[in-house]
Amino acid sequence: MRAMLDFYLTQMKMALVQQFQYRVANYFYMIGMIAEPVIYLVVWSTVANAQGGSVAGYTPGEFAAYYIVWTLVRNMNIVLTPYAWENYIQRGWLSMELLRPVHPLHAQIAYFAGWKFVAIVMWLPIAAILAAVFQPEINTSPWAVAAFVVALWGGFFVRFMMLWLLGMITFWTTRVSAIFELYFTMELLFSGRLVPLALLPPWAQQLAAYMPFKWAFGFPIELLLGKYTQAQALYGLGAQVFWIALGAILVRLFWRTALRRFSAVGA
Amino acid sequence: MNFLRVAWAYFRIGALNELQYRVNFFVQLFESFLALATGLVGLALVFSHTQSLGGWSRPELLAVMGIHILMGGLIKTTIQPNMERLMGDVQQGTLDYTLTKPSDSQVLVSVREVRIWQTVDILMGLIIMVVAVIQIQARIGIGQALAFAAALVMGGLMIYSFWLILTTGAFWVVRMDQIVELFQGVYQAGRWPVGIYPGWLRSGLTFLVPVAFAVTVPAEALTGRLTPQTLLGAAALTTALLLASRWVWFTGLRNYTGASA
Amino acid sequence: MRASSPVISIAQLQKTFYVPEREAGLRAATRNLFRRQNREVKAVDDITFEVAPGEMVGFLGPNGAGKTTTLKMLSGLLYPTGGEISVLSYIPSRRQRDFLRQITLVMGQRNQLAWDIPALDSFELNRAVYQIPRPDFDQTVAELIELLDLEAIVRKPVRNLSLGERMKVEIAGSLLHRPQVLFLDEPTIGLDVTMQRRIRNFIAEYNHRHGATVLLTSHYMADVVALCRRVIVIHHGKILYDGELSGLVDKFSALKTIVLTVPDSSIDLSMFGEVTSREPSRVTLRVPRADTSRVTAQVLASLPVSDLTVEDPPIEEVIEHVFAQGPEQAA
Repeated sequence: MRAMLDFYLTQMKMALVQQFQYRVANYFYMIGMIAEPVIYLVVWSTVANAQGGSVAGYTPGEFAAYYIVWTLVRNMNIVLTPYAWENYIQRGWLSMELLRPVHPLHAQIAYFAGWKFVAIVMWLPIAAILAAVFQPEINTSPWAVAAFVVALWGGFFVRFMMLWLLGMITFWTTRVSAIFELYFTMELLFSGRLVPLALLPPWAQQLAAYMPFKWAFGFPIELLLGKYTQAQALYGLGAQVFWIALGAILVRLFWRTALRRFSAVGA
Repeated sequence: MNFLRVAWAYFRIGALNELQYRVNFFVQLFESFLALATGLVGLALVFSHTQSLGGWSRPELLAVMGIHILMGGLIKTTIQPNMERLMGDVQQGTLDYTLTKPSDSQVLVSVREVRIWQTVDILMGLIIMVVAVIQIQARIGIGQALAFAAALVMGGLMIYSFWLILTTGAFWVVRMDQIVELFQGVYQAGRWPVGIYPGWLRSGLTFLVPVAFAVTVPAEALTGRLTPQTLLGAAALTTALLLASRWVWFTGLRNYTGASA
Repeated sequence: MRASSPVISIAQLQKTFYVPEREAGLRAATRNLFRRQNREVKAVDDITFEVAPGEMVGFLGPNGAGKTTTLKMLSGLLYPTGGEISVLSYIPSRRQRDFLRQITLVMGQRNQLAWDIPALDSFELNRAVYQIPRPDFDQTVAELIELLDLEAIVRKPVRNLSLGERMKVEIAGSLLHRPQVLFLDEPTIGLDVTMQRRIRNFIAEYNHRHGATVLLTSHYMADVVALCRRVIVIHHGKILYDGELSGLVDKFSALKTIVLTVPDSSIDLSMFGEVTSREPSRVTLRVPRADTSRVTAQVLASLPVSDLTVEDPPIEEVIEHVFAQGPEQAA
């Protein structure tokens, strides 16, 4: 619907303007985030050097490439945290959005999407500096780059839907930190965030293929690094679509019930 | 010593306060276990591909991890909560209440807060360390143990001084919240012995943010790598940082009270 | 005169909240994890009324009376526990898009506009959300800017505006889609007297120009007196009164006030009634309503009265008295 497109564009533009105002805070956050991948990078490069140049098909140069692209994907992965839901509900923001003839999901996605453009632009100088320091090697191809751009946004949508579902749990109980922390730990291990998935034992890699985490994180990175054939890349994009669709269906199924709960407890 | 009495008084109140919320204990326990599991998985993954990392064996790295968790617990129990509260006080102008109390201001702002449930991490770190030491099967002499304890204490003091200097910056640059996140990110580097990092990074982690002294040096003491020079250097640096932090604190205070509205 | 069906129709409406009981102790906390111990709170207890198109109705009631809850049910934010609601022939809780496009809910302290950009930019977003055609939108914005005197503030970031200015742009933002039904929840709360008056004037003017139906809640009597002919008094979730404002005092007040102008006000008047105030040459008496004419006659006969007025006690006092009563005494 053209009206929906109009809404998305307007909201994204607004988010862009708003987040640009907070560019300093955004930058600080992005810089702080670098610590994590740099540590992993150094550790694995050390291991690779000790093992004669490469580990599970990754040379130190490729580890550098992996973890630098990691920072971009990580930024794209940042969405409404399930912890923020409690605020969202209690402070009445959800009520405000429920009054409008647009589903809150659209409003949130549009907002974050606009924000991501600012994030991508701000990431470029950081990537340049990291590349200068750590000398990444990339063996990629034009189609892989194009597919990467698609997969990057696909990953954003996958994670958004999954965390939205997770956040909906807040409607039913507020003692949720245990569930959330468990989810995030699983995500850390099976998404390709802690280590490239190729370094996991085979059984873990197979498990990861059936979970949504990889498709939001490790898949786009490996895609850009040229680790997939065209067929595999297509399969991965399909997996992203699958998880997004699954998330959307579940949200649709449970949203009404969730609102009834929200209604019962009042806000 | 007045310092000890004040610290103990605040500790008691803080502990009593938080002990009411026993659920938080289980929440903390669970989160610490998750963090530990993640750390152990990381370690296992590294050692599924290699035998040693930068000259450190697996149990030795386990010891490093234990010290990292222990020191992290110490930071989260006392240092971080106090510094966060100090930042908040400066931002909201509520520091005045503390300044009118008849105790040394630096002591007060350093011991007011305690997050008792984070001691879970201290305990956990200790256990990991003990397990690691058993696995190393080395005999640890009295001298080594003392050196280790000294290194640990000095590391803690250095981190404290570092935090205080940074937080005092809030007197001039009021918004310092990102600093906390920045530090937490950099502190993660301490999970691994600082020697594996490239030169410039290693220097940064030693002299800029004293993570090396907080974790690696005590680990060196435990695993018999510690040289007397390093220990002496640590002592010198600790003294220097403590003095610097006290000076910075009082300079900042003068600036603050002069400009108070 | 065309027969118009009511815009709002509520019948035996009920809303019960389940408030979780938090107990101390670990076992209770673990039990609480998924099976909450709940306490029932009846926020709205069987209310019925109708509102005709273009009417301005005031909801009066103290905090916790059920006014905001009713408004939230009318706007679809809350599901009723029992009874029926119909607004513009829609069932609000279904939250259909066409329904949402015709209503607006303005809540006193809640913000709808983005904090850090000018209100005008936030209006753009509303335009996209409500799919307002561009020419209509421009016209409405111009009209609202004029009516609410927004010219100077509409291009400043919302965070730089004072509380009153913020309220004005919030109201403007909520009217961009020319809703037919306005739910205003405490719109003047926290504002200074001048601003309150301005906003009241605006609402009256808006209703006059566009014939919008307005449901206004407040615990400021002045809001209701200024805007609404019809008033609904709610207390403890029940309707105590639904009718003309002028009838309110008659229903609830058992007293009348007699103000006497006498040369010497120190004389003892306690035989006539309760003396509520004494000034150099004026005395105020409070007497039961039924005794008014008898006391007036007696006073005129026995005292050197140069002026006498019979008044109703101020509405605020009456309402306060009503609100102070517990649920058992609610009529």
